[in-house]
Amino acid sequence: MEVVAPRLLLVEDDDHIRLPLRWALEDEGYDVAEAASGEDACAQVAVAAPDLMLVDLMLGAMDGFQVIREVRRSHDLPIVVVSARADTHDIVAALEAGADDYVTKPFQVKEVTARLRALRRRAAGDRPTELVLDADPAAPLVLRPERGTVHRGEEQLPLTLTEFRLLCELAASAGRVLSRQILLERVWEHGFFGDERLVDVHVRRLRTKVERDPGAPTLVVTVRGLGYRLDRQ
Amino acid sequence: MRLALGPRGLRARIVLAFSVGALLVSAVLVATTFGLARSYLLDQRESAATRQAFTDADVLASRLSTAGSEVGDELVDLVPSGGADVVVSHDGSWYSSRLDLGARDVPAALQELVAGGSAGTARIDTPTGPHLVVGVPVVTAGVQFYEVAPLVELQSALRTLTAVLGAGALTATAAGAAFGVWASRRVVQPLEQVAGAATRIAGGELGIRLPPSEDPDLLAIVASFNSMVDALSSRIERDARFVGDVSHELRSPLTSLTTSVEVLGARREELSERGRAALALVEDELGRFRRTLDDLLELARVDGAPVEESAEPVSLSALVREVLARRGCPPELVGTDADEVTAVRGDKTRLERAVTNLLDNADRHGGGVVGVQVRRADGAVQVLVDDAGPGVPPAERERVFERFARGPRAARGSLPGAGLGLAIVGETASGHGGAAWISESPVGGARLTLSVPGAAP
Repeated sequence: MEVVAPRLLLVEDDDHIRLPLRWALEDEGYDVAEAASGEDACAQVAVAAPDLMLVDLMLGAMDGFQVIREVRRSHDLPIVVVSARADTHDIVAALEAGADDYVTKPFQVKEVTARLRALRRRAAGDRPTELVLDADPAAPLVLRPERGTVHRGEEQLPLTLTEFRLLCELAASAGRVLSRQILLERVWEHGFFGDERLVDVHVRRLRTKVERDPGAPTLVVTVRGLGYRLDRQ
Repeated sequence: MRLALGPRGLRARIVLAFSVGALLVSAVLVATTFGLARSYLLDQRESAATRQAFTDADVLASRLSTAGSEVGDELVDLVPSGGADVVVSHDGSWYSSRLDLGARDVPAALQELVAGGSAGTARIDTPTGPHLVVGVPVVTAGVQFYEVAPLVELQSALRTLTAVLGAGALTATAAGAAFGVWASRRVVQPLEQVAGAATRIAGGELGIRLPPSEDPDLLAIVASFNSMVDALSSRIERDARFVGDVSHELRSPLTSLTTSVEVLGARREELSERGRAALALVEDELGRFRRTLDDLLELARVDGAPVEESAEPVSLSALVREVLARRGCPPELVGTDADEVTAVRGDKTRLERAVTNLLDNADRHGGGVVGVQVRRADGAVQVLVDDAGPGVPPAERERVFERFARGPRAARGSLPGAGLGLAIVGETASGHGGAAWISESPVGGARLTLSVPGAAP
């Protein structure tokens, strides 16, 4: 358990959920701040810089998707979405917007904290300090697991924590296929019944940031029916 | 005839009606034409023969008026045109221009008529065919003159006419039948269109509508069919929206409840004995409520819908092992074929729920799970769950897969579950193109089987 309690921003417009959820999360050792609207949430993120966010998709005027997109402009913190519907396209849309994981109502607080813990886990040690993923002389792609950065040439790429860990997992097994199941277990710590859409959407998001041409990926390639593979260039 | 041919289709009836109609019309036409032509031709022939007879009778009379001439001699010289023969009666003696012709060939009625001084005609049949006899009294010479004209030519003309008309009638009937085929196709085609559209709509293509028709007779059908589909699809949409709304409306308070109870649960020690007991009860009921709601929503959402969108390769062996592990069941409970051969294409979440429901069912109604097997059989992958219960009588075996069917021992409130579990198993199986059924386990209890088509190896 961390010495300093992780600061969590809880974005939920329903008092009857926000209040007990806050209590339960505090019981689990989080330092919880509340936001009852999307606008409030964006303001608080800018000021308080929380470590984690728990966002309900159905808010008032500014919905959860907008909040996530807004926050993602400048923050790489893990965002977990709370949704009342598990089967709609909302989930994929929220992930596309930048969410890292989701839980569906009704949930148990232990499920939520398990997700949050997995997303905050730092990439395990014993990794090379520097990995050149793309040796393009003009703009090489360099991953530095220890420092938690990825550079394309001089520019540091704005990867979220989850995208960074996904890239680290793929890079650690460069040249070998990793199944969606394996990636789910290693990055999200989901079990057998995890949602493989998480992997697909995150790979898509990762590609837009690290590939030379995201439309024709060559670094993170899809191996049909098996999973994904990182090919060092 | 109807019995022998069995019930006829619309097409057959239209074709039959058209052919019978054409046959009747042409038969009437043929009969009328034939009758008219026959009587006209006969009249023509009769008046020609009569004219000829009068002329010949005049010739004979003028010759006989010459002194010393004999009827027999004059008769030989008289050669009527058209192959006719002449019979003459003079003073009770009969003379004929041909040997096989005589008084016996002239009908008695005609003889009387001519003897009475009037001319007349009669038709006779002779071995050489039908003939017309024209009788003319030659009063000046005291002679009764009969001319026998053959009607054979007329007969053959009528035969030709009959053949031509018959052929015409047959052609008309055939044409009627052909027209009937064409017309029936025209009539049935829109029906087939409707049937095709209905089939596609039943298959889930709710966007299908019949194209607008220019035919005023079809307008009503097309319009009412399309409005029926509109009503149907809007109703389906409404139902789906309702399910979504219910889902949201119930899930939010349930989340609030679950979380609040969790907060309470963390403070269990602060509660009195009775408070703790009440909390335990609430926790139990909440769990049950949540499961029932999940089941209900799952059923409403799935409702036999085929699994396609979310289909992915799933190993049922691994899935069953995972479910059992999560329930804390001993791993030796399950016997499986290799993961590779038990792979299916399906929705992992739905299959997991189905397997969970099979195990729940065994726990609730079957006295606990005795054994679980996953095996490949005839191209399908089967999950078999054996329980320790008394089994299910054959008459009940279909019914337990119906919604809200509860086991006989599930008295009100005594056991959890709303009777939706096996309905979900059934829907999941059919959604994956498989089946679910109950049989007897070799060790006594019931054996529930979920069968899903195996993925291509």
